[in-house]
Amino acid sequence: MTMLSYMSIFIRRSAISLLLLLAATGAQAQMKFFSIQKDSIPLFRGFAVSFDMVGAGMLLFSDYGQYEGAFRINLHDEWFPIIEAGIGKATHDDEVTRLHYKTSAPYFKIGIDKNMLKDKHGPNRLYLGLRYGFTSYKVDINHPGLVDPYWNWEAEFVIQEAPCKYHWAEIVVGIDASIFGPLHLGWSVRYKQRLAHSEEGEWGKPWYVPGFGTYDTKLGATFNVIIDI
Amino acid sequence: MKINKKRNLSMVVVGVISFLFPFSSFLLTSCTSIDCPVNNLVRTRYQFTSSAGDSLKLMDTLTVVSARKDGKDTIVFNKGVQISRFHLPISYSHPEDILVFHFDGDSLHVADTIWVKKDDILHFESVDCNATFFHKLTAIRHTHNCLDSVVIVNPSVTNDDAVVHVNIYPKVSN
Repeated sequence: MTMLSYMSIFIRRSAISLLLLLAATGAQAQMKFFSIQKDSIPLFRGFAVSFDMVGAGMLLFSDYGQYEGAFRINLHDEWFPIIEAGIGKATHDDEVTRLHYKTSAPYFKIGIDKNMLKDKHGPNRLYLGLRYGFTSYKVDINHPGLVDPYWNWEAEFVIQEAPCKYHWAEIVVGIDASIFGPLHLGWSVRYKQRLAHSEEGEWGKPWYVPGFGTYDTKLGATFNVIIDI
Repeated sequence: MKINKKRNLSMVVVGVISFLFPFSSFLLTSCTSIDCPVNNLVRTRYQFTSSAGDSLKLMDTLTVVSARKDGKDTIVFNKGVQISRFHLPISYSHPEDILVFHFDGDSLHVADTIWVKKDDILHFESVDCNATFFHKLTAIRHTHNCLDSVVIVNPSVTNDDAVVHVNIYPKVSN
């Protein structure tokens, strides 16, 4: 064997060893991420209910928004399975295109958050979480007094109670600060991704989806008032 | 000391939250974008075609007129010269469009009428984009003064401007 072939075998073996080491470390880190810290604190730490102020504010200041509440279980101050539910609404009359759009429907989200802070049992939390959201809703779209520009015939543009369904996922990053007693305030920023949607008929795609926002939106935020129970 | 530090951090976080809250709703409602298709015109595209299936250049001048709701004529295509393909408007929701093709040459003036039957489909893109109708061409008939045949090759009329919907086979003079 030449010196070159010895070196080649050495490099190959080193590379394989390194890969195996990385894989083992990665698996260990993964196990650590999904594990629960071992201490004297019990697993079940109670419930919390919360209300989102941003969605309500959007309804107040714009043509669409949502009232959203959440119910969260606290597992060892580390894992927080959560159900979020609300009613999304949109009523828009466009001054330029003269299109009227209306929808109002409940929506549901289910997911889990993990407290990423080292001090799990402290008063503040930093979350990383996932959500799956679903809504089934109907939209009304119409354009009153639409006239054909060439022939001047009146055209009826009315979409009445068109049924739609929408599924989506969210990646959540949030903070939660204890104020006093059971009261917490929290922020979250969400990256949203449409998973599937269906609209009955060939009329196009919806503009606003309850709970998700406008059809192609990617970012969302919540400001939560949280009460520990 | 440790508890005080935690309290302070908590207060900072709350302060940031309180400061940012009024802006969040405003930002989320004000950051909107208008995302309408580049071409929002829904038109039919016609092509003069030879019996061999090739695109044919018309040597005469073509004008297309149609009758409006009040009965008066409106020009929907004006004096096209040496054309092989052209666009014509399609009515929003009338069941049949009647188009009169005027062919004008040096010593020739011939007119043919084409009746286009269609189904109309409401199309909504966004509240920021104009209301439009897509169509499905269902039948076509015509007079035979200058035209040999008229054939629907693609019945779906949308805002895709590149698609040829109707082939017109003129009578070829030797």
